[in-house]
Amino acid sequence: MAKQTETILDAEQIADERVRERTEALLEKLHDVDSQLSHEDVIVAFTYDLADRADDENLTDQRVDGLVALTKDTLTVYQNGKKHKEIPLDKAEDFRTTPGVGSVIAECTYDGHDMLVCRGDNSHTAEYGAIMKRINRYNETGEFNTEFMRELNRVCEKCGRPFPPGSSVCPRCVDKKGIMKRLLAIAKPYRWHLILSVVLFFVITAVNLLTPYLNRILVDDFIKSETPEAVVISQFIIVIISLAAVNVTTNLLSILRSRVLVHAGNRVIVTLREMVFGKIQMMSISRISKRTAGELMTRVNSDTNRIRQFITATMPDLAEQALMLIAVATMLFIYDWRLALLIIFPAPIVSVSFRLFWRKMRRMWNKSWHMDSKSSTVLHDIFSGIRVVKAFGMEEREADRFDEISKKQRDIRIENERMWAIVWHILSFFMGIGEFFLLFYVGNKILGGEMTLGEMTQFSAYVSMIYGPLRWIANIPRRLVDFLTSTAKVFEIIDENVDVADKEDAVDLKIKGTIDFENVSFGYDETTDVLKKINLHIEPGEMIGIVGKSGVGKSTLINLLMRMYDIGEGSIKVDGVDLRDISQDSLRSQIGVVLQETFLFAGTIYANIAYAKQDATRDEVITASKIAGAHEFIMKLPDAYNTTVGEKGHTLSGGERQRVSIARALLHNPRILILDEATASLDTETEHQIQESLQKLIKDRTTLAIAHRLSTLRNATRLIVLDKGTIAETGTHDELMRQKGIYYGLVMAQRQMSRMSPKNTAKE
Amino acid sequence: MPENNIPNELRGIVDIVYLNRDNCKITEKNGFIGLRAVLDKSDDDMTEKEPLEKEENEKDDGDSKKKKKDTPAVETVDLGNGKVEKIAERIFLSRAFPFDMPYEYISVLDRDKKEIGFIRSLDDFDEPERTLLKNELETKYYTPTIKRILQVKERYGFSYWKCECEFGEKTFTLRDTFRSIIKAHTKDGRERIYILDIDGNRYEIPDVEKLDRMSYKKIELYL
Repeated sequence: MAKQTETILDAEQIADERVRERTEALLEKLHDVDSQLSHEDVIVAFTYDLADRADDENLTDQRVDGLVALTKDTLTVYQNGKKHKEIPLDKAEDFRTTPGVGSVIAECTYDGHDMLVCRGDNSHTAEYGAIMKRINRYNETGEFNTEFMRELNRVCEKCGRPFPPGSSVCPRCVDKKGIMKRLLAIAKPYRWHLILSVVLFFVITAVNLLTPYLNRILVDDFIKSETPEAVVISQFIIVIISLAAVNVTTNLLSILRSRVLVHAGNRVIVTLREMVFGKIQMMSISRISKRTAGELMTRVNSDTNRIRQFITATMPDLAEQALMLIAVATMLFIYDWRLALLIIFPAPIVSVSFRLFWRKMRRMWNKSWHMDSKSSTVLHDIFSGIRVVKAFGMEEREADRFDEISKKQRDIRIENERMWAIVWHILSFFMGIGEFFLLFYVGNKILGGEMTLGEMTQFSAYVSMIYGPLRWIANIPRRLVDFLTSTAKVFEIIDENVDVADKEDAVDLKIKGTIDFENVSFGYDETTDVLKKINLHIEPGEMIGIVGKSGVGKSTLINLLMRMYDIGEGSIKVDGVDLRDISQDSLRSQIGVVLQETFLFAGTIYANIAYAKQDATRDEVITASKIAGAHEFIMKLPDAYNTTVGEKGHTLSGGERQRVSIARALLHNPRILILDEATASLDTETEHQIQESLQKLIKDRTTLAIAHRLSTLRNATRLIVLDKGTIAETGTHDELMRQKGIYYGLVMAQRQMSRMSPKNTAKE
Repeated sequence: MPENNIPNELRGIVDIVYLNRDNCKITEKNGFIGLRAVLDKSDDDMTEKEPLEKEENEKDDGDSKKKKKDTPAVETVDLGNGKVEKIAERIFLSRAFPFDMPYEYISVLDRDKKEIGFIRSLDDFDEPERTLLKNELETKYYTPTIKRILQVKERYGFSYWKCECEFGEKTFTLRDTFRSIIKAHTKDGRERIYILDIDGNRYEIPDVEKLDRMSYKKIELYL
């Protein structure tokens, strides 16, 4: 543990060092370009690499050598060693970045018009975003915070190279030795199992080595006996029985060995999976959503599996085959060193030629692997979309598509197999060349009477035993590559920093329900703020309706309150305590959420409702579902609350799911209730019912509700209208209607809509 | 007439506003482009004005936002007889089919990323406006051309490329090599390749067939 913190500090130091070095280099460069500029005046300097815009001379090659320096009241832009433009800060405002494709523009509003500051390729996106934000702040407050530079300059502590975005593992130097060490640490509790398996294998090998010896006795003393009449039949039987005993023993020992290995292997994989899974659960939504569900599944399942294979199969095999090689080789050498040399001599040639072929083969396999995965993707695509395919009558087209891929796959496979067949036989031939030498040599000896036929049988058996490990060793590189790739991916997840972490002194808070947003700005990335300077005070027990067009940041606001993300600027307080000082457990246990997309876990309806409160009584569960309007339909199901839902179970309709998840949130008995389009998929009547029950429930709870259907919010004490990331209007329904602003427009638009469908008008 | 491309049944439901030399002038200011266009009046043009009516707005906002609010993204002037003139100081261009039709079907957006209209082809404009548009596209979609591939190394799921571009050597990293290489065909059937690196930068190989043998061998596996 202590060691880990040490390395983190080191990396920070390197990053600081890098920032300092870069800054110095930049300042020096600045000095060369503009000697009047003194170092002390420069607040921040940064580079850019693209011309302001493309023109005929540089249509695709737009590279320039550019520098920007912020001094007390001016932003000066240099290009190719000359002053390019000056932007006095007093007339400039709203510094921002505009993302292009493969490029990013830093710009501002100058004297009411857009003005370009500089342009760079996409690797500058985060940097420019951070700097532009801070220039704005500097313009307002006169302070410039350079903290962000360390984060941008985070480096791998080994090679000093920056990490690829979104990862805290340097792909260039995932240290192979380090990985082995860490894996061994994971395998350590099972070391006795592994050692036992190696010992067992040693015994098996030793016993196996007896077989050729017994064979020799069989051949020399009995079959080719010069005095057949002297053969004692009982001795003959003993030899046969010994042969059988050897066979039985090795098989029994092998069974034992694989049991030991399976046992250890499964425990290793469980440990690993727990580590990966635990880590994924700890990661914030922002990190998780960077990877696809499929990718995470692969990491948890197949990558850990590959590691298990390595620990339980490849690693012991490696030890065993090495042992075997040494043992057999020693025996051969002791027996006859000249003969042994003859046999082993083709091995290096084969290894070298194998390595040469290896690269070619790997490319081919890679190709075929990708073809396979493509064809299974196509299949998966077609089958999961079979309704669409049939509905549009596209069966034939899809069949053709699959046909084409199958044909390509076939061609690649044929080519691969042809290649492999040739290579394999040539290699085998070279491997076997030793045997010809052996035959010649041994034959001579037998003819000369120096060796018996039995001895030769024994010797050939040993020879075949030595080729196994030799061939196996040629395969090692491939397994190693596979394994290291998987391991690196798994450890990448395990090593990832938890970005929304509890502070050490985080408190458990008994929430009353006051919520304050103070100057909150937030963006999912550095370049664009989804929410800008939100200020909002909510009293306990208030019901706040949040209204606005799609994409204005309604759900983001709520995600921030639940602390799914940490905010960049400002603070969110619950009962006057900053969210970051409250333990996440206590925060989330007192917030109940009903989301637009409901999710039911595989299990019974009962278990789903009781999910948030495991010790809930049956009465509580039923009460909650009654309030949520779920009770009625649940009782109509044959298995009522014991009905299995989720992936393989009974399929509930969208509205039914919604009601179950409302019940779940209610049972949670939260101090703060969040309804994110909670009743959107219900019909007006059911919605009305639920609204009424919710009304009783909401009474002394702080409630935040997002709804597009504005009638849902008629009971709200206050409405907040979001527009372009800011709070555009606040007030009650009546106040806002009088204002005739955005809200008024939305209400009018909806009235028009409902007038078109006569059914709804009746309800109004 | 471009409208002819739309099947009869769909016509009139949603109209695509096409911008061309007859109804639109491209302007330039501070290195950014804008437009003045005379278009048919649509329902949207009426709602546009609404935010201007209310004044409560400015109370909440910081004064820094004020200026931007005062100048709408598009100024709409009613010319009568069903026509409006739209004036935008700054427009943004977006390719609808960036890989296979880089100079056709260009969406023209205002500052709020609302679509003003579509340019079917840059050929619908005369010089110097065509060049203005073309340069704006090249500015936004910065895609250097790769002349030679010097080295490709693959390790642990990442691949490291060293290439010779027109401005010199460039090294970059791809996260998932197979998925980061996009094949497109130009109209005349050449195979064009786009490479997307880890930072989101793009590189182009305009004609794979024309690559030298050594370069081709390095990229062959991924094609």
